[in-house]
Amino acid sequence: MSRVALLGAAAAPLTARRYYDGGDPGPLVAALATVPELLEVFLPFVSTVLGASALDARTKEIVIVRTSAVLRCEYCVDTHCVVALDEGVTVAEVGVLRDPDTATDHVLTERREDVLVQWVDAVAGGRGPVADELAAALASCYAEHEVVELTLLVGATMMLNRFCTALELPTSAEVLARLTAEGLRG
Amino acid sequence: MTAIAAAVEAGVLPGRVWVYSNYHCNLACSYCLTESGPGVPRRELSSEQILDTARQAADLGFTAFGLTGGEPFLMPHMAKTLAQLGGILPTVGLTNGTLFTGRRLAAAEVLAGTDVALQISLDSADPDVNDEARGPDNFAKVVDAIPALVERGINVRIATTGDIGVEEMSRLCELHRGLGVPDTDHVVRPVIARGRAVTAGTGVAAGTDNLPPELTVTADGAYWSPFGPTVLQGRPDTDLLLTRTTDPLSVPARTLLGLVEGRPPGTDSTLNIR
Repeated sequence: MSRVALLGAAAAPLTARRYYDGGDPGPLVAALATVPELLEVFLPFVSTVLGASALDARTKEIVIVRTSAVLRCEYCVDTHCVVALDEGVTVAEVGVLRDPDTATDHVLTERREDVLVQWVDAVAGGRGPVADELAAALASCYAEHEVVELTLLVGATMMLNRFCTALELPTSAEVLARLTAEGLRG
Repeated sequence: MTAIAAAVEAGVLPGRVWVYSNYHCNLACSYCLTESGPGVPRRELSSEQILDTARQAADLGFTAFGLTGGEPFLMPHMAKTLAQLGGILPTVGLTNGTLFTGRRLAAAEVLAGTDVALQISLDSADPDVNDEARGPDNFAKVVDAIPALVERGINVRIATTGDIGVEEMSRLCELHRGLGVPDTDHVVRPVIARGRAVTAGTGVAAGTDNLPPELTVTADGAYWSPFGPTVLQGRPDTDLLLTRTTDPLSVPARTLLGLVEGRPPGTDSTLNIR
């Protein structure tokens, strides 16, 4: 049960209606629709940062799932685990990524992805500057514009994590069923 | 000239901006859009908020102002506020007209000679029919108040809500003429299926296709029309919400203009819902 009203299509404000054209837009839109002028700027921003870009989708979903796990956002972890699976992240990889207390080096075979997860753990879970050694390791694996985008992706995901967790947005039944079928949820 | 001023001048946007000064009321009419009554959340705007909205409306290029509620005259500053509004834009203030006795009637004298009209609800020449929807003694109070206001030089309009027959309308018009209100100051609109009318299963469906896009400001946000910020079962409706931001007024005004300009050609209001 969400802490705020999730607006259905009949109650959707005028500028939010287009997000309901394809059916249920999900709880994030349904919550944000109550302040339609924020939805108007927030959703394009989030869609741009989290959606298709110069970074490949697998990399982005690794970042999103891990960030959400570090921030203990149940809604985002579950929802993006399904997206990650669809983008080719294996069940074993997802299982480790969604556990913030588990290192990933024994599952992620590419060094650059393991370094990336360490970067995410430091940015999302740490306070103050990231260690020079880790920043250098990331820079050796990714171009500077990729580092910028990855870091913004962590930050945007953290914002979503806190929003969804604080307002207790509900995970859809379809997502829960998929995770249960994959053995990622009890 | 602002884009809003150009749109108003071209007739793309209506010139009037509305505010809901408050939601509480001394009456609880059976068709009330906002489920107003004595015990409801007040959702008040202060006098300064109302006046600032009018000033911003004038600066943007809107040409008229409207104030409604709830019953605005439950707020002690209302007569003075309306008089000040009349100095900013031509203003119509909607009221149930039942409070104009004693001190409130004396306070209303400040409206004499201003560019303010008080629009008072009167639904029938038959007291029983009128009072069935609007409450006991409503008719008697209103027919006492109207001539008292007119005698003091205050502009008064009559608003009739509902679908009444020709004969009854004829008697009603005879009545308001006798009270000093000409036919040109009598407006009639249907019951709109929002608020208590929904609960009662009556009224005409209303939406962006038949409501003029009159920017309307409340304590909860800005809406497409004064028929937008309605209340159903205690919860404010959001289907005609434009923005939660009301200050600066340019934010909802731009949103409204964008929606109006995006409407399919030929789409316009079809009901006399004002």
